[in-house]
Amino acid sequence: MLLVIQIFLTLLATYFIIGLAFALFFVFGGATKLDPLMKDSKKMVRVLLFPGVVATWPFLLRNLIRNKS
Amino acid sequence: MGLDYKLVLWNKHKKTYDKIIVLGMLAYLVLFFVLSFLINPELTAETVIIRAFGSLAILMLHIILAIGPLSRLNPQFLPILYNRRHLGVSMFLAAFIHGGISIFQFHALGSTNPIYAIFTSNMEYGSLTNFPFQVLGFLALLILFLMASTSHDFFLKNLSPRIWKGLHMLVYLAYALVVMHVFLGAFQQETSPFTMTFLILGFVTISGLHLVAAFKESKVDGLKSSVDDSGWLEVCNVNEIANNRAKIFTVAGERVAIFKYDGKLSAIHNVCKHQGGPLGEGKVVDGCITCPWHGYQYLPHNGQSPPPFTEKVITYELRLSNGIIYINPNGFSEGTEVKPLNY
Repeated sequence: MLLVIQIFLTLLATYFIIGLAFALFFVFGGATKLDPLMKDSKKMVRVLLFPGVVATWPFLLRNLIRNKS
Repeated sequence: MGLDYKLVLWNKHKKTYDKIIVLGMLAYLVLFFVLSFLINPELTAETVIIRAFGSLAILMLHIILAIGPLSRLNPQFLPILYNRRHLGVSMFLAAFIHGGISIFQFHALGSTNPIYAIFTSNMEYGSLTNFPFQVLGFLALLILFLMASTSHDFFLKNLSPRIWKGLHMLVYLAYALVVMHVFLGAFQQETSPFTMTFLILGFVTISGLHLVAAFKESKVDGLKSSVDDSGWLEVCNVNEIANNRAKIFTVAGERVAIFKYDGKLSAIHNVCKHQGGPLGEGKVVDGCITCPWHGYQYLPHNGQSPPPFTEKVITYELRLSNGIIYINPNGFSEGTEVKPLNY
């Protein structure tokens, strides 16, 4: 059981660390490329979006790649 | 609808509801503190705070889960539904304070990582009565974080309504985890019948409301329309629809709203592109069908949001014969112009 817990928490921590790194890039750059409405949105909106980007980064990364291609 | 994202979409009504939420939360906390110190004066302040915010969060979660079915059963509850997003975020904050103080109180003062300690301080995972209930609360808090942090139109648009809705349906998993968290916690730490009774009553109420609402909707979906020789469905008499309003019908498995306005009739798909709101429960305002949930608008004759907005819904063709409305069940592609039917 201890091994299962360690694997689960390692995966969870990895997910959030990648999410934090992605969110830093996304809210101050990538978001505008994905959604033109972000261009005229206030900076506080970007700050507000930060936790949600950390939580859902795989979906947003996928959309960003699709949008680019 | 807008050309940029706002921090919070406030209007006069939403501000009023938010004030009610804040005042309601404060009133509950004050009442809980006073009653706790009167009934159980031996409890520490930390324990009372943990219990106050935990019970507030679960009470709010019950209210949130009840709003959906209540508004389907009675439209008078719809205004509360429009403000559910703020209620959900407030509930997460209450749960976060409960969880944060609990983790600090019970796990942060040792040498082990507090998150790791939640999972390992009690290893009786095989026991029903001594199961580590804090793990269940932690997992529920993760789901509530996911939901609260994505409660913004940006995520609805950029995750896609389907994925966003799927993520937010996890509230039912969070509810199950919270119920087990409280049930096991109460079972292991206190024997008060109040907690058990509240949980059981809450579960029965939420389940009952969902079942009754589903039964009501299944009756709408199950309505059989007669079909004429050309495959068109007879839906209703034109007088059955109020002016600037709609009636909702199930056509070929899809819900369709038929609107009556300015001596004309138009039919569009019932589901709003924004958040899946029921367009047929909205009104025609300034010539536009207006979603009752968040005010997204569509032109009745082509199902398109007025420029510069780009949302589109499926449109349908109508026919009138002796005051009876018929609909072609084969809808057109989203945003297709259909000449309104004059009556």
